[in-house]
Amino acid sequence: MLPVVPRFPRLPPVGPFAEGFWRSPLRGPWLASILSSALLPLLAVSAITGFISHLAYQPHLGANAIFNGPGPGNGFDLFGLHWPTNPAWLYAATQGLHVVCGVAAIPVLLVKLWTVIPKLFENPPARSVAHALERLSLALLVGGGLFTIATGVINMQLWYPFGFPFVPAHYYGAVLFVGALAFHVALKLPVMRRAFRSQGVVRPLREDLAHTLPEPGLPGEVTSAPHAARAPTLTRRALVGGVGAASVGLGVMTAGQVVGGPFNDLALLAPRGRRGSGPNDFPVNKTFSAVGIPRERTGPAWRLGLLSGEERRAEMSRHELLVLPQVEATLPVACVEGWSSTQHWSGVRLRDLARMAGVDDPDSLEVRSLQEHGRLSKVTLNRGQANHDQAMLALRVNGVDLSLDHGFPARIMVPALPGVHCTKWVAELSFS
Amino acid sequence: MTWFRRLYGASPAHLLALVASLAVGAYALTQVLGLVSDPRRVLIWLAGAILLHDLILLPAYALAGRAAETLLAPESRRSRLRIAALNHLRVPFLLSGLLLLVWWPVIGRKAPRTYLHASGLTVDPYLGRWLAATAILFALSALIFALRARALGRSDDETITPGAGRAHQ
Repeated sequence: MLPVVPRFPRLPPVGPFAEGFWRSPLRGPWLASILSSALLPLLAVSAITGFISHLAYQPHLGANAIFNGPGPGNGFDLFGLHWPTNPAWLYAATQGLHVVCGVAAIPVLLVKLWTVIPKLFENPPARSVAHALERLSLALLVGGGLFTIATGVINMQLWYPFGFPFVPAHYYGAVLFVGALAFHVALKLPVMRRAFRSQGVVRPLREDLAHTLPEPGLPGEVTSAPHAARAPTLTRRALVGGVGAASVGLGVMTAGQVVGGPFNDLALLAPRGRRGSGPNDFPVNKTFSAVGIPRERTGPAWRLGLLSGEERRAEMSRHELLVLPQVEATLPVACVEGWSSTQHWSGVRLRDLARMAGVDDPDSLEVRSLQEHGRLSKVTLNRGQANHDQAMLALRVNGVDLSLDHGFPARIMVPALPGVHCTKWVAELSFS
Repeated sequence: MTWFRRLYGASPAHLLALVASLAVGAYALTQVLGLVSDPRRVLIWLAGAILLHDLILLPAYALAGRAAETLLAPESRRSRLRIAALNHLRVPFLLSGLLLLVWWPVIGRKAPRTYLHASGLTVDPYLGRWLAATAILFALSALIFALRARALGRSDDETITPGAGRAHQ
């Protein structure tokens, strides 16, 4: 018996489903292709650095995992791979790239979606089973992409309207997006090649307005090229150039809060683009008043507990810590939200404190904060981090005592450690 | 394999790649839906992102663009000057809108208390900064248009002279 070939009906050609509805002369496979060539690298860098950030949190150590616990199966982390301490700006760079590329992708993505919007109203809506499934995958692609970028952009501005936890949603949104994107790229690469072969890669950028003709589309392919176009009011050069300028502009404005220094002034609208001039006037991602630690617990009665496992071996006052040999280092605090700030810190080497707890060459270090609530009140560092020459319990910054907002009486500073793991208001260090 | 192509509409490799991609998507969705207390919220945000963009944001700016085009440079009365006027309005409008879209949470003061608690700073400056950026964008665009307008007006005189148009060269 012959299999029945499925039939796919047309919708009535009304409104956007009608052939002549979309009339911009600029739409078509060449425009979609040139935008994709810019979009793909931006999204790839943002995705890769995002997964690197997941790795940098070292979810396999202690209680570091923000979701899914420390066991295997927590996303795509590479178990056993320790986050390095060199170069010190590693996390500032990867996370800065993550946020800058993600933000810079927004104008390109929006114009790409504008270019292909006629295909949302393709008529017939499905031409075959394969085409229907492709369109399901496209829904995941567009939904996953918009979801991941929107949650990221909203989260970095410290607004939490989601009603779900940001980290797993942003993470798995990205997994969903990358899965759909891989298929989309494989499917569309031949179309892109044909579009560039038929129009030239850059030739349409040289046309002036009088020579800006509608794209012809590709034989045998349903494209976003118009059936009946209006006369152009914009050249392709102006459109692509404008998108490029918007993308670079947004990227530079965001990069201002990563690079710091004079570039901070470019971060006009970026959430952490402001600074004062005092030694403690650099950004924080949690103020002292926000975490609810009673003020007196940071006063003269504060003692640092030094533990070997769960056994309390020593206690030290802030004064006793200050008379120990001090180490100095210029290190960035690099926030997961994409900003970073490089300052000059001084304090006691973690390695020296390990020895006072009776542990030589510690395998790992659990840092506990005075902060009683929140997932990041307890953080585990790996062996390389605990033993690094510049890994310290910082007591002072830029020549003065830490301010309460920056973690007084003492905080952790370790090269390349994500900012949220540079625990503030440290109460205990447990070496093992 | 022709029967497969007739039935499915593409090659078996297409189906394999598609199933692999959908499987990754299904894995991600089940993971995240299992992790959050209210899975409906995730689905609402996923579908909402598409609907908000495709059925509200895009039609809104496309319609605004069409309206501006009809007003400033209708197809019946097009000139280089009119087209330039349209574009000198379009560009600052879109750039200002893009800034508003991306930085809406701080510009629109969506979470001033959380922001203050976390950063120790207020969100107050951002609305003013966005308005200033918008004013500068429109002013710059108007200035450049004014500088170009005279030359564009002259070239329009040329192109409407019969026989001097580009099409006849």
